[in-house]
Amino acid sequence: MKEELMQKKQVETALPSCINRRQFLFYGASAVSTLALSSIFGATSALASEALFAKYPRKKIAKLADLKQDVPIEFLYPNNDATYAQCFLVKLGEKAGGGVGADKDIVAFSSLCTHMGGLLGRSYKPEHKVAGPCPSHLTTFDLTRHGMVIAGHAVESLPQIVLEMQGADIYATGVSGLIFGGAKNPGV
Amino acid sequence: MSEQKHIDSIPLPPKDAEVLTTCCDYCIVACGYKIYRWPVGQKGGIKAKQNAFGRDLPIELDKGGWVSPNMHNIVQHNGKPHHVIVAPDAETEVVNKGGNHSIRGGAIAQKCYSENTPTKDRLKYPQLRVNGKLQRISWDDATTIFSEVSKHVIANYGEHSWAQKMFSYQYFENTYALTKLALRSIGTPAFAWHDNPTVAPSTPGLRDVGIDNFSASYEDWYLADTLVISGTDPFETKTVIWNEWIMKAITEHQQKVIFINPRKTTGVAFAEEHGGLHLWLNPGTDTILQNAIARVILENGWEDSEWIKKYTNNKWETDSGFGQGTRNTDWQWRTTWGNFQTKGFDDFKKWILSQKESDLKFASEICGVDAEDIEWAAELMAKPRSDGSRPKTSLGLEKGNYWSNNYTNTSSFASLGLLCGAGNRPGQMISRLGGHQRGGIKGGNYPVGKSPEKFGGRRRKPLDLDRWVQAGKVRFAYVVGTTWTAGTCGSGELAEVFRNQITRNPNQLTSTDVTDAIETLKKRVDSGGMVLVDQDIYLRKNIGTELADIVLPAATWGECDFTRANGERRIRLYSKFYDAPGEAQPDWWIASQIAQKMGFSGFDWKESNDVFEEAARFTRGSRKNYQPLVKMAKRQGLKGHELLRSYGTTGIQGPIRLENGKLVGTKRLHDSTLELPETGPEKETVWQKWITKFNSQTGKANFMKSPWSMFGDFYDHVKPREDELWVLNGRINEIWQSCFDDVERRPYITNRFPENFIEINPEDAKRLGIESGDYVSVESNRVPVQKSGFYGRDTSDLLFANLLKGGHIKFVSAKVKAVAMVMEVPKPGTTFMYFLNTDNPANSLTPRVPDPISDNYRFKLGVGKVVRLGESPYKNSFKQMTFKSRAIV
Repeated sequence: MKEELMQKKQVETALPSCINRRQFLFYGASAVSTLALSSIFGATSALASEALFAKYPRKKIAKLADLKQDVPIEFLYPNNDATYAQCFLVKLGEKAGGGVGADKDIVAFSSLCTHMGGLLGRSYKPEHKVAGPCPSHLTTFDLTRHGMVIAGHAVESLPQIVLEMQGADIYATGVSGLIFGGAKNPGV
Repeated sequence: MSEQKHIDSIPLPPKDAEVLTTCCDYCIVACGYKIYRWPVGQKGGIKAKQNAFGRDLPIELDKGGWVSPNMHNIVQHNGKPHHVIVAPDAETEVVNKGGNHSIRGGAIAQKCYSENTPTKDRLKYPQLRVNGKLQRISWDDATTIFSEVSKHVIANYGEHSWAQKMFSYQYFENTYALTKLALRSIGTPAFAWHDNPTVAPSTPGLRDVGIDNFSASYEDWYLADTLVISGTDPFETKTVIWNEWIMKAITEHQQKVIFINPRKTTGVAFAEEHGGLHLWLNPGTDTILQNAIARVILENGWEDSEWIKKYTNNKWETDSGFGQGTRNTDWQWRTTWGNFQTKGFDDFKKWILSQKESDLKFASEICGVDAEDIEWAAELMAKPRSDGSRPKTSLGLEKGNYWSNNYTNTSSFASLGLLCGAGNRPGQMISRLGGHQRGGIKGGNYPVGKSPEKFGGRRRKPLDLDRWVQAGKVRFAYVVGTTWTAGTCGSGELAEVFRNQITRNPNQLTSTDVTDAIETLKKRVDSGGMVLVDQDIYLRKNIGTELADIVLPAATWGECDFTRANGERRIRLYSKFYDAPGEAQPDWWIASQIAQKMGFSGFDWKESNDVFEEAARFTRGSRKNYQPLVKMAKRQGLKGHELLRSYGTTGIQGPIRLENGKLVGTKRLHDSTLELPETGPEKETVWQKWITKFNSQTGKANFMKSPWSMFGDFYDHVKPREDELWVLNGRINEIWQSCFDDVERRPYITNRFPENFIEINPEDAKRLGIESGDYVSVESNRVPVQKSGFYGRDTSDLLFANLLKGGHIKFVSAKVKAVAMVMEVPKPGTTFMYFLNTDNPANSLTPRVPDPISDNYRFKLGVGKVVRLGESPYKNSFKQMTFKSRAIV
C-alpha cells in the first residue's frame, strides 16, 4: 500500500506539461507508462499543463486497425495546413516514450525537420525506429525517445504529437515543441 | 540535472529591434549570425512589416531563417532586461549561405549569461582561495597579489619559472594582449598553447612542403572532383563546411569523397553511399596508408607530371636560395637530418618505391584496409580520364591525422597531394579543415634561445611546459581559458603533479589580507612550490575548483567587441550585445591591469579596439594580415572595429590587400590563378610571395620523405596488447566545445549526453558482454609519460625506444567511466570517447610523450581495457541518451 502511494505521488509530481487532466486520468491507470511519457517533459504543474494544452484541438487521426507495424500514416495536425501541419503516425513495434496502444509503441511526430524544414515524413527507417536522415542535411531523430536528435544539426527534438486512445481510435491532443516555420504552432 | 522545457512558441522582435552581427563562437567555420535585441515588454508580429526579420512567418520549408526556441534568450543590456534572438544570418552569401547552422550555433543564444538558466554559475568576481575555499576579493587586490608574487618569482628564479598556459584562439585582442605580457614583456620560454605542451606548429609537414595550413577557401572543398578527408568527419565537427560545401558537391556534381578515418560517422556513410570511399584504417597508420596510395600512383604513372615539373623543386632548386640546408628556422633544421628532405620528385619516387612500408600488401595488413581500396583511392585521386583530363583533387586533414602521428603523417599527406597536382589552384588545394577558429596574434616572439630543450644537431626547440612543471621548475603559473590538466595527455597524472606543488604545500592562505597573501605565496614559491592563477568564464575542474590560488572572471563572446578569422581566413567583428556578468572583464583588460602593476609599459588600452589597432602591425607577415583595414579606417576617420563592423557577417578574407584604393580579401593562398593589378601591390598591401607561390625557399613545393622509423617504435609500444582496445577521443557534433557550454549548460544536450560515452563496435561488445546503455570502465596501467629528456645529442636520442632506454619514460595508471554505445561506427578493435569530460577525461588514457620532431602530443592514441560494470539508468530511459547509430544514411 505504501509503495502504491509513493508511486502515485511520483506520478503527480512528474505530471508532464503535455498531458492534460483527462490524459492524466487515462494514463494514471498505468503509472509505469505515464512516468515514461512524463519523464522527458519535466515537472511542470498540472495547472500550467492544462493552460498549455487547452488550446490544442482533439482530433481523431486514425483507427488502430489502420496501423501496420513500421508503416507510417501521414496526417495533418494541429490544423489542416497542408504544409506546416504535416505529421506522421507510426507503430514502431517497440515501446517508446509517449507511445500509446497496448504495447505503448504508437507515436506521432511533425514531419518537418527542426533544422531547416526538410521533409521527414517518408524517411522512416524501420530497422532503426528512426526518422531521417533528413534529405536536406541528414539529421536523424530517435522516435523511441521523444524525437531526440541522434546525429545532426537540429536544435530541437522533432515535435512529438501527444496521442490518446479512445477505444479503437487514435486521437491527437497536443504538440510538444514548436513545429518548424512559425512562431507558434499552426492554428493555435 | 536541468529540466528540459518543451516550448511551443517564441517571441518575435518588433520592427524597430536593434540588429547586430556576430559569428558563432565555436567551430572553425564561424557561421554568420544576426542578433535581434529589444526590451522586454515589446513584441513583433508574424507579418514582414511587423517584425525585425522583415519576413512573413511561417517561413518557407527547406530555407534558413526560422527561429527555434533555443535561439531566444533574455539578457541584461545596460542593466535592463532585453530579449535577444541569436539566429543564423539568412541573408548571408558566404560560409553558411542562406542561414545554415549547426546544432551548436543554433543554440548559441543559450550561451548568454542569465540568472535563470544553467549559466548562472558564471564567474562574476575575482576570488582568492583562503582556507581551501574561494572568497571574493577586488580586482585591485587580485592584480596586486598577482603582480607582487610574479615579480618575486621572476627576480629570484628567473622568467623560466613564470609560466603561462593559454588558449590560442579566443579572439585577436585577448591573445595579443596576453602574449605581449608573457613573451614580449616578461620574455618567458615557459609558455604553451592550450592544446600542446609548447608552441608547436599543428601541421609541420605541410609547412615543410611549402603549404600554409589554412590556404584553401571553402569553395575549394566544393570545386574538387575528388576530396580526401583525413582524421575528421566535417558533418560532425565542421558542420556547415559539410552542409553547404561538401554535401552539395556530392549531390550537385558527384564529388567523390575519400574518408581516412577509424570511425564511420554520418558524413562518411553518406559519402560511401554516393560513390566515395571509406578507408577504415587502424589508428595511427596514416603515414603507411598515404605512402601506399602514393606508390600506386607512381607505379601507374598517374602523377601530374607537367604540374610537378612546373611547381615543385628539382634537385638544384631544393638547395637554392635559403635552401633546405642547415639554417636557423625550424622547418630548415628539420630537413638537416637527412631523414625528411628529398632532392625533388625523382628522389621522392625512388624513396617511396624503396620502402617496405609502402608495399601494397604490407600496408594493407598494417593499416587494416583492403589493397583494392588503396588502389581505388589512388585511382579516384590521380588516374587521368580517357580524354586525358585529370580529376581535380583536394585534400583536407584534421586532428585524427596529425594528432596520432604528427610529423610524418602531415609530410606524407602533403606530398601525396603534390602528386595529384594539388596545392595552388581552385578545387585543388591541401589544407587543414580546422578546429577552433583562428584568433591568435602573437604580441611577442617566443624566446627559443632561452629554452633548454635541444634536439640533435644542436637545434634548440621550444620548452615542453608539462615536462617543465613535472620537473618542478615552475613557481608561478598563469592559466587562461584552458583546463590544462584535464586537457592534456596523461591528464590524471599531471593533476597529481600540480597537487603536490600547490595544494599539498604547507604555505596556504588563511586570510584575504593582501599583505598576508603576498607573503604566504612568496613563502610557497621559496619552498619550491607553485602559485596558480586561473582565468576563465566558469570554475572548471580541477584547475579552478581545486588548484587555483586566484580565480579571475573573464568576459567572453557577446560581452565585448572582438575579432577573429575562420578556416578560410575570413575576418569578422563579433559584436558585444549584452552585459558581462558581475565584474567579469575581457582577458585583454585583465592582462593590461596585471602588466601595468608589474611595471610594463604599452598596456594602457581603453577599449578592445585599441588592442585591435595595435595588434594589426603584428599580423603583417601572416595570413591574418589586416593592417590595410586599420590604415583605411584611420584615413576614413573610423575605428578599425567600426570599419570591420560595416563588413557584417561577410567580413573580409586575410591577408587583406589594397587594389584600386579598395580593400580586397584573398580567397586562397599559393593561388597560381590570382590576377594582380599590373601596377603591383598598392601602398599598405604587405605583399608576401606565398600569396601566389608556395611558401618555400623558391616558391615551389618540396616533396618530403616520411620514414616510419621515426614513429614505428612508439607505435609498436602503445598499440593494444592482448585484450586492450584503442580508445580514441575527439569532439562530436552535439558537444563541440569542451564541456563548458553545450553538455553542461544546455538542458537539451545534457539530456542527450548526461555522461561521457564510449562507442564500441558490436563485434567487440559481443565478446566483452557489453550492451548499449551499460556502464563500463576504461582503464590502463601503462600510460606512458615522458618525465625528462630535454636534450638529445643525436637525432635518435629522443625517439621513443631510446627515451625508454634512457629512463625518461614512466608508466602511470588511468581509469575512466563511460556509458557504452554499441554501434558500427568505430572500427573493430577501436572505441571512441568524448575527449574532455572533466569527470571522466578520455585524455587520461593517452600517452604524454610528444612527437619529438614537432612536440605535438599523440592525443588520439589512447589504449585501454573496457570492462562492463553494470546497467546505467539511461539504458531503459526514454528521457536521456539515445543509442542509435551515428551512421544512419
